[in-house]
Amino acid sequence: MSRRWIAWLLVLGILVAWPEGAQAHKESDAYLTLGTDLQQPTVLHGQFDVALRDIAFVLDIDRNQDSALTWGEVKAARRDIERYALAGIAIKGDGLACEAQPRGQAIDAHNDGAYDVILFDVVCDKEIPSRLTIVYSLFADVDPYHRGIVTVRAGANTASAVLGPKTPSAEVDLRTPDRWRQFRSFVVDGIWHIWTGPDHLLFIVSLLLPAVLYRRGTSAAEAVALAPADAPDATGWVPVPSLGRAMLELIKVVSGFTVSHSATLTLSVLGYVDLPSRLVESGIALSIIVAAANNLHPLVTRRAWVVAFAFGFIHGLGFASALAGLSLPPLAMATSLGGFSLGVELGQESIVLPFLPLAFLLRRTRFYQVGVVRWGSWAIIAVATLWLVQRAFDVVIPATGLITPS
Amino acid sequence: MDGTFVPAEATRCRAGSRGFGGRARRAGICLGGLLFLACGPATASDPHQPYIPSTDAVVLEHLPSRGDPRVRAFDALRQRRIAAPRNSGLAIQLARSYLDYGRATGDARYLGRAQAVIAPLLAQRNPPVDALLLQATLLQSRHQFVASRQLLQAVLRRDPDNSEAWLTLSAVALVQGDMREARRDCMHLLTQADALVAAGCIAARDTVTGHAREALAVLDALAPQALGAPASERAWLHGLMADAARYRGDVARADREYRIALTLAPGDNFLIADYADFLLDEDRPREALVLTRDYPQSDTSFLRQVLAEQALGLPQAGADAATMASRFADLERRGDRRLYAREAARFALTVQHAPGLALQLARDDWSFQRAPEDVRVLLEAALAAGAPAQARPALEFLAATGLEEPEVRALARRLEAALHAAQERRP
Repeated sequence: MSRRWIAWLLVLGILVAWPEGAQAHKESDAYLTLGTDLQQPTVLHGQFDVALRDIAFVLDIDRNQDSALTWGEVKAARRDIERYALAGIAIKGDGLACEAQPRGQAIDAHNDGAYDVILFDVVCDKEIPSRLTIVYSLFADVDPYHRGIVTVRAGANTASAVLGPKTPSAEVDLRTPDRWRQFRSFVVDGIWHIWTGPDHLLFIVSLLLPAVLYRRGTSAAEAVALAPADAPDATGWVPVPSLGRAMLELIKVVSGFTVSHSATLTLSVLGYVDLPSRLVESGIALSIIVAAANNLHPLVTRRAWVVAFAFGFIHGLGFASALAGLSLPPLAMATSLGGFSLGVELGQESIVLPFLPLAFLLRRTRFYQVGVVRWGSWAIIAVATLWLVQRAFDVVIPATGLITPS
Repeated sequence: MDGTFVPAEATRCRAGSRGFGGRARRAGICLGGLLFLACGPATASDPHQPYIPSTDAVVLEHLPSRGDPRVRAFDALRQRRIAAPRNSGLAIQLARSYLDYGRATGDARYLGRAQAVIAPLLAQRNPPVDALLLQATLLQSRHQFVASRQLLQAVLRRDPDNSEAWLTLSAVALVQGDMREARRDCMHLLTQADALVAAGCIAARDTVTGHAREALAVLDALAPQALGAPASERAWLHGLMADAARYRGDVARADREYRIALTLAPGDNFLIADYADFLLDEDRPREALVLTRDYPQSDTSFLRQVLAEQALGLPQAGADAATMASRFADLERRGDRRLYAREAARFALTVQHAPGLALQLARDDWSFQRAPEDVRVLLEAALAAGAPAQARPALEFLAATGLEEPEVRALARRLEAALHAAQERRP
């Protein structure tokens, strides 16, 4: 019976009640940053931070063997360190031949100790192509858990990768994105989001149905101004006298909605607000029910824009789901958000603008006042209630596929 | 370099929020957010600012000391291995000494170094059993419990009497919360290993299943036999006694045993973490700080240092907490959440005062680890987040295993009261 392995296991802590109680340590990472240079298209400027503890494991840099590394010792080993570390990286692309040329040495304090900073240039025989492959093999033979944290920058464009023995290379695309194209693609996304999202549409429509009408007796002055032909009838609605009035009402509703949904869309995409999507989606369904119910039993008679504004906050969070996971540099973020918001507006306008003149023409008819406003609102409530149940209780209701927003 | 490094930092922090699927992704986003805050000041006064030290004599880094016999031993083995690269016995010996050093000091780099040394052996068609055992221990250290268990079972099919495999299997079963299997595996040692190790193995399992009193009695009875045993073995027994005494609520005895264990195994990463936790629980943060402050390289030790600094309201608490957060961010970016979920949950709860995030991390942790620390952090996080129902799996686990640690029991009582009150409110 050998005691040797027992002793070994004991030091390992394997016999201790909870050997994993103490397993969480800083692992070995190195940080490689590469950047393009507008003036020198064949050169990349690099900075490579490598932990002194890792270097000391492979190179004999502690000259006096006192286990304390001084700046003098690190400086003296500069050439060896550069040769070793720079051999661990390679830049490849389109028949490109590059050479890493050291430019300077410094020290950087990271969260787990001091790192040697190798400042260097990657000098290539041709212009740096937009697609590059970074190959990383530093310490692959001595520590398979070592990782190279690589960041490549071209202007405002950043690409990053975590490399190690299992994924030793990464392809990065340095092309400066075409901002205009990016913007346009997000505008299109925004439009489609409205067109293919019947819930936002139904909400706006619910608020707009009565834009060409007044509630009976909402204001004495208005009642007096009404022509006899426009006297309130059994529906409780009276038509607005002019297209201008209808337009004003519509502008207020759409603007109120825009202001609030833009605010929450931005906050959500930037990560300042994060609500569970079940809550948001249920809230949106509820807002449609409320808006449509208001057309039947009014609580808010004159300020439909207030309803639009209030519920716009929750719709903004819904829009944000289309941009979920967007994580871009500030300028690209502004382009995408701006484009998407504009798209959402265009999508809304494309519904609202044809709606208004049509509704204005039909506003006196019973068809509009009863058929469209009353029964339309009931239909909207029915559909939105279905959504609310589905979303709040996470159930699938059979045969509702066609009216269920994707 | 002024303006150039900052954006890279920002990217680095952001990148932390990616790479998780499903439920974990949400926590990743929150965590990314928190870490982003931690990294935030980087733009104002960048801590990652390359500099030129003022004089050649400035000491930049302390390496593992050559005065340490363990370091001298693996340095010598390494030299011998260069001369005989195909000697597999030498490779196994070297890998063991790296693993030993890495686990005892909490310096994770040595686990990777051990892995590199055995890699060629594992690539053989029929790897030596010792190499497989080392690999299983490394997998366990990387919290790959399922893979580790499978490998150990494969070893035991080849060599059914391998005590080391049974012992490691028991340890893995234990951390997975499989108490019955953990104890059963210990039984295989009774015939193979010496009585002291087998009894210690069983006592350690009894301690956490509601039989701490019996475990302590067994350990006391073993003590005279242990006097002739190696220091590491005695340190282990005293550590077990400390645990059992703590579970019994015998604070003075636990304190005494921890101290004895630490004189037998000075600087041991596991003992330091356990004793520091005990001191923090006993509201003795000053002693916890003295205990931990010499080992900032180990994240576990450093976390206890930060907790002690915070409890004492020391001025460096803020900066050290930011360092801790950025280390967690580095692990997250590497995709190593498994290695630190428990510690990060505790950090989020106690230092960052973010109970929602702590609960998410504690639940992630619970999905693969069920040691008493994992039970405790899940209970604490659920309580702090006002979501007692989230602690149900841990409460059921407690009921099933009989874990009787006083702090855990107190937490469980509070949670059960909260759950009960919630039920009353909902007729």
